[in-house]
Amino acid sequence: MSGWAFLAVLGVGTLVGLDVASVPQLMFSRPLVAAVLGATAAGRPLAGLAVGAVLELFALETLPVGAARVPDWGPGAVAAGAVLAVTPQVSAAGAFGVVLAALASAWLSGWSVHLVRRANARSVTALAGALDAGDLGAVKRLLLTGLSRDAIRGAVMTSVALAAAAAGFAMLDRGWSVAPLVARLALASAGVGVGLWSAWQLFGHGPSARWLAAGLGVGTAAAVLWA
Amino acid sequence: MGVTAPPIPGFGAALRRLFVIQAAWNYERMQGIGFGYAVEPILRALPGGPSGEAYHRALARESRFFNAHPYLVALAVGAAGRAEIDGEPPEKIERLRAALCGPLGALGDRLIWAGWLPACMAVALMLVAAGARVWAAAAFLVLYNVVHVYMRVWALKAGWREGLHVAAALSSPLLRYGSELAGPVAALLVGAAMPALMGWLLRGAPREAAAMAAVLALLLAVLIGVVRRRASGLVVAGAALLVTAAGGVLWP
Repeated sequence: MSGWAFLAVLGVGTLVGLDVASVPQLMFSRPLVAAVLGATAAGRPLAGLAVGAVLELFALETLPVGAARVPDWGPGAVAAGAVLAVTPQVSAAGAFGVVLAALASAWLSGWSVHLVRRANARSVTALAGALDAGDLGAVKRLLLTGLSRDAIRGAVMTSVALAAAAAGFAMLDRGWSVAPLVARLALASAGVGVGLWSAWQLFGHGPSARWLAAGLGVGTAAAVLWA
Repeated sequence: MGVTAPPIPGFGAALRRLFVIQAAWNYERMQGIGFGYAVEPILRALPGGPSGEAYHRALARESRFFNAHPYLVALAVGAAGRAEIDGEPPEKIERLRAALCGPLGALGDRLIWAGWLPACMAVALMLVAAGARVWAAAAFLVLYNVVHVYMRVWALKAGWREGLHVAAALSSPLLRYGSELAGPVAALLVGAAMPALMGWLLRGAPREAAAMAAVLALLLAVLIGVVRRRASGLVVAGAALLVTAAGGVLWP
């Protein structure tokens, strides 16, 4: 990856990191979008599509309901798309390694969000007097500090995810000794398995359960007919 | 109360600031700092302006603890801003803010996080499977954000219109029918998207392989359900993929 491409990917990763919670929550941090953006920054948008779609199935389990601590999929998906985009010949095994790295990155990145929020809490405590006096300057300072922390977090996590994705790709691309179809089959099964469980959790009770079953039926029929 | 509400002072600025409402999210006041920042343009209309005593007291009050769904929080910002401008007693405003956290959080979770978001993503995944390529991601962003941005605008205006009586806005047709429809629609689309995407991921593979993948996916979903108290789906699937990777490398 060239220096410019790296900077572009880092920039995209930072913006995607900010989008998760800080600004503007337009959902370009969703894995499908983030992976395509990462691949676009690296010069080949289409390279991020399949990996983004697979990661999206995993992400269905961790919708940001309530104030729960959830994995942050953005930086890992950006890195996964970028690494696949700069690889001329993408093997199924290499893509498998990139997905594994993106899963680990999502977990690590979710933990980094928690650290930023703890640091923000310390800043709030330090400025409690000014906040209780209704000082707009204190409010603005806290917002800017929070944004800066989150931007740095996004950049660092994208760098870490890039390194992990490159290592994951290289390790499995060279070392995989089983048929490539096994890698595709494992990725599809794992993604859809998590997706099925998540869908059951979200919609498996009450009136939505019937609609979920109907959707599964229609989707299966369509997949069989198109095959 | 009603449709004769005066225009919202600082509407544009308040709306823009709603997009950074979680920039200083923390375990102390959660969205409180962002809430204060978003409502601040409205508070400038208080007697005495931004240098007046009323403004500072109101800003201090509005920057305290708050947490709700980040889009529907606009309803609370509008309502609290209206209550401050109307000169309602501070205790009433504090009670209003406290009372809105739970309902706005629960409603937003049901309507957006467990409804509109998965529904839009399912459409995007089906578009991927249908060959829309990267346009699927663009379609997702447009589809999702039309409703997202509309909801923020509507919520800010509805909150301002109703003020302390904002509960009326919570039972508006948009939210009532929206939350009733969101679940079934999302369930149907997500259900349809998964097999379609699996077919796309395994295109060109023998039918037996696709059938095996479907069975494995079902088994994995059951396994996640069995061990759900000890590990998340991400951990279980990650472990399964790690074992597969190790097998792929070590297989002679």
